[in-house]
Amino acid sequence: MRRTAWAWLALSSLLPASARAATRPHYGGTLAVELSTAFTTLESADFPAGLAQPIAETMLRLNSRGEVEPWLAVAWQADADRRRWRFTLRTKVAFHDGEPLTGPSAAPLLLVALKKTYPDVTITAGGQALVIRSDRAMPDLLSDLANARTAIIRRSESNPSIGTGPFRVTGWEPGRKLMLTAFDDYWGGRPFLDAVAINMASTRANGDVFDVPFSATRRILAERTRLWSSPVEELVALVGTGVQPAALKAIALAIDREPLVNALTQRRGEAAFGLLPEWLSGYAFLFRTAPDAGRARQAAALLRLGTLTLSYAVSDSFARAVAERISLNARDAGINLQPTPNANGNLRLVRWRVESANVAVELQRLAGLLGVSETPALDAANPTALYEAERALLETQRVIPLVYLPVIYGMSPRVHGSDAGFALRLESLWVDP
Amino acid sequence: MGGPVSFRVKVFLSITASVVIAVWLVAWIVSTLVTRSFERQDTQRTQTLVTQFHREFERRGVEVARRIEAVANSDAVQQIAVNLNSPRFDTSRYFDQAQALAREQSLDFLEIVGPDGRIISSAEWPARFGYQESWLTPAVDWKGQGVFLKRIELADGSALGLITVRSVKAGDGALYVAGGQRLDQEFLTTLPIPDGMHVRLNTDFEGSTSPLIQEVRRQPRELARTSADATLTAIPLLGRDHQLLAILLVENSRAELASLRSYIQATAWAVGGGGVLLGLLLSLWTASRVTRPLRQLTASVRQVAGGQWDTRASIESNDEVGQLARDFNQMTEQLAEQRDRMIQAERVAAWRELARRLAHELKNPLFPLQITVENMQRARQTSPEQFDEVFRESTTTLLSELGNLKAIIGRFSDFAKMPAPELEPIDLNQIVREVVQLFDAQMHADGRPPIEANLLLNAHLPPVPADPEQIRRALSNLILNALDAMPQGGTLSISTDSLDRKVSLEVSDSGEGLTEEECERLFTPYYTTKQHGTGLGLAIVQSVVSDHKGTIAVHSQPGKGTTFRIELTT
Repeated sequence: MRRTAWAWLALSSLLPASARAATRPHYGGTLAVELSTAFTTLESADFPAGLAQPIAETMLRLNSRGEVEPWLAVAWQADADRRRWRFTLRTKVAFHDGEPLTGPSAAPLLLVALKKTYPDVTITAGGQALVIRSDRAMPDLLSDLANARTAIIRRSESNPSIGTGPFRVTGWEPGRKLMLTAFDDYWGGRPFLDAVAINMASTRANGDVFDVPFSATRRILAERTRLWSSPVEELVALVGTGVQPAALKAIALAIDREPLVNALTQRRGEAAFGLLPEWLSGYAFLFRTAPDAGRARQAAALLRLGTLTLSYAVSDSFARAVAERISLNARDAGINLQPTPNANGNLRLVRWRVESANVAVELQRLAGLLGVSETPALDAANPTALYEAERALLETQRVIPLVYLPVIYGMSPRVHGSDAGFALRLESLWVDP
Repeated sequence: MGGPVSFRVKVFLSITASVVIAVWLVAWIVSTLVTRSFERQDTQRTQTLVTQFHREFERRGVEVARRIEAVANSDAVQQIAVNLNSPRFDTSRYFDQAQALAREQSLDFLEIVGPDGRIISSAEWPARFGYQESWLTPAVDWKGQGVFLKRIELADGSALGLITVRSVKAGDGALYVAGGQRLDQEFLTTLPIPDGMHVRLNTDFEGSTSPLIQEVRRQPRELARTSADATLTAIPLLGRDHQLLAILLVENSRAELASLRSYIQATAWAVGGGGVLLGLLLSLWTASRVTRPLRQLTASVRQVAGGQWDTRASIESNDEVGQLARDFNQMTEQLAEQRDRMIQAERVAAWRELARRLAHELKNPLFPLQITVENMQRARQTSPEQFDEVFRESTTTLLSELGNLKAIIGRFSDFAKMPAPELEPIDLNQIVREVVQLFDAQMHADGRPPIEANLLLNAHLPPVPADPEQIRRALSNLILNALDAMPQGGTLSISTDSLDRKVSLEVSDSGEGLTEEECERLFTPYYTTKQHGTGLGLAIVQSVVSDHKGTIAVHSQPGKGTTFRIELTT
């Protein structure tokens, strides 16, 4: 009895210490990241969804609420017509090769990135200042500068990617493996991890961090592995290219999104009725409708549709599951919609990521993807106009939004430090020794 | 077609036919026995395969039942069953559970179905979660149902499955675990299929036009059909409610049988061909050994027929043919003796007939001669003054009667010395017309019932090589004969016609006709049916026709007239 009491006492004395060890970050260790996907460039835009590129940084970034906040740029000003913007760069920021980040060193790199969006843009620099000019207004410049596409990055013969981020590239095998090492001179302080090893096209789901398909989330949780989830940032939708609008409307009426969300995303997705998620537009709830198989059946009967095909990416098992479920919904309405991995179906199942926090920019981009060429200039500050624009896009009967998806990563119990946000930041992670 | 078949040909045909029939019979018997044996073996092989199929079916069934039992007892399913009655239980969390369990248990089909019949998870059609699977919910002792066949709906069609169901107690209700393995062509690859045998599982027979499948669909039972190439056996596979779900088709190739039959046929042809050759050789040998005495006998018969009555067949054996030759020789000897006797008898008869005729013919003129001479003697004795008168009258009578005697002797003399015909091409129709013209007055003479002449002459009659005078004489005799046969009048019909290298001449009367006996004796010299005939008229006709290498025949029936028909070679 006495021995048991002593044992309990010893254990109880250890508990606070172990709890403290779990919550107190410490330096060192290598993080193994296992990804089922692969990327072949180190461009920020090509980096896996939900994983913040730790090599290069943007001038600004989005916080967890989707708002723009300073990053490499600490201040900015714009004139009244938003054609001229002045940014002040953070001091004591250096590239991985030791070169300090200044206006002149950043300007040419930024110019290349911005020219894609603003062809007539010019940048003048001096000291830590950057002045960006254009003949036309650039109301969305801030969200553009928070976009990974405008990350400031250089290349050299010895290093494919030289940025100012918390990790520098020490090994790169495109499509297979990326080795990152902590950048000791990082302006935000050295990351906790000594190194990160990212293995691509991996079939193992036993790394420190690994991407998790929705179907595996229940199993992962059962294994006491933590899940990190991004906000919903990917739209899964049906796009009808060779189908008459009335047929697409009938299919839209037949689709029940609830099982898609509940089962296929394991309640981690959101039903999509609009093109942009609620957190981005703020009005997505206005597009919500209920499935109506009866009306769908009537509409289909009038149309006398033959067999329609629904294409999905052959490697995308989630898309296949969605396609098969939609096929069942359509069958209930008397529409023969055959899922096919071939690319030339009457309808396509697409997955579109949110690329910009600017609603107007996103709507313009989606309009382009839908082939709607004539879209009016949108003011991101005018939600009514944005709503009308999105509604107009939906009424073209070219697209049926289905579900919004987050990105989910599993993390082994030895990994700590993840926080809520749009992307998992490797620099904030630390591992048990 | 052709002439009579020779003995040699008959022997050849007999031997050949015997050999061919025997070979054919043997080939047929062998072929039939082989076919029956093959078909028996075929049936046995099919039955063995079907038995193996059912055994494999049962083995798989046991395996499926074991695996489904394992799924039903798994933690995952038990956890679902336990949580099912919880109000916060979310079945959608388990929508893909069946896939993992199916993989784990190597099952092709697996569905976890709630008490309300809604699919919680489907391995074969994952997207169907939430849909109704109503066939499971009726109160059934699923364990007692065992393993059964069922058509499973899939996203891209349907498949046949070996299915079993287990129910797991879930509060007041039950959770159903239904699953199994696919029954397809791959299943059949596990069967030890002998060479020449093919097995197919036909599950899509809705649009099939095969009569066998149609028949099995109408009435599900095992059926077999045999064609030249194969024997096809169809075995229906039924579901739990005895509905036809699939047809197992076992095809047994008959190539081996066809090859064997072909070999038998080839052998039969070869042996048959040899038989024909053998028949030919045997017929030649048999003909040389068997038919030679017969041919000699035949030649002897021909010689006898040709008038050589002293011909004798050589006797070379003691068998039937030798006996035949002996009999033939005996027969010819007897015939020769009979002929000699007949000739002698006929000579006697002819002399008697001649004597009778001569006596008869000569007696008529002799009697007036006797009376006249006696009158002259009586007149000389009793009335010498009138003797001269009587003498003159008597000598006149005597001369007249002596003339008659001379005429009678002349006719006999004429018949005796008929000259040989001098042949020249003659127009037979013309001769007929001329002769009939000569008799025209006689046919229409006053005080005599009229006789009508009816001529039916073939205008295309070819010239006939003949002696015109003798033909006239013969025709005259026939017409005279016909006129004598019609004392009451009637119709004289004369016709000519052309035959194959012959011409015919027919003379018919409508008189009383002749009896059969009269017909037979009609052409005998000195035979007559008339009171004042010499009996030489028709004998002369026959003599003329015979000298012209022709033939004459008489057709008559009492009361229906008489027809003489002469045929002359052109």
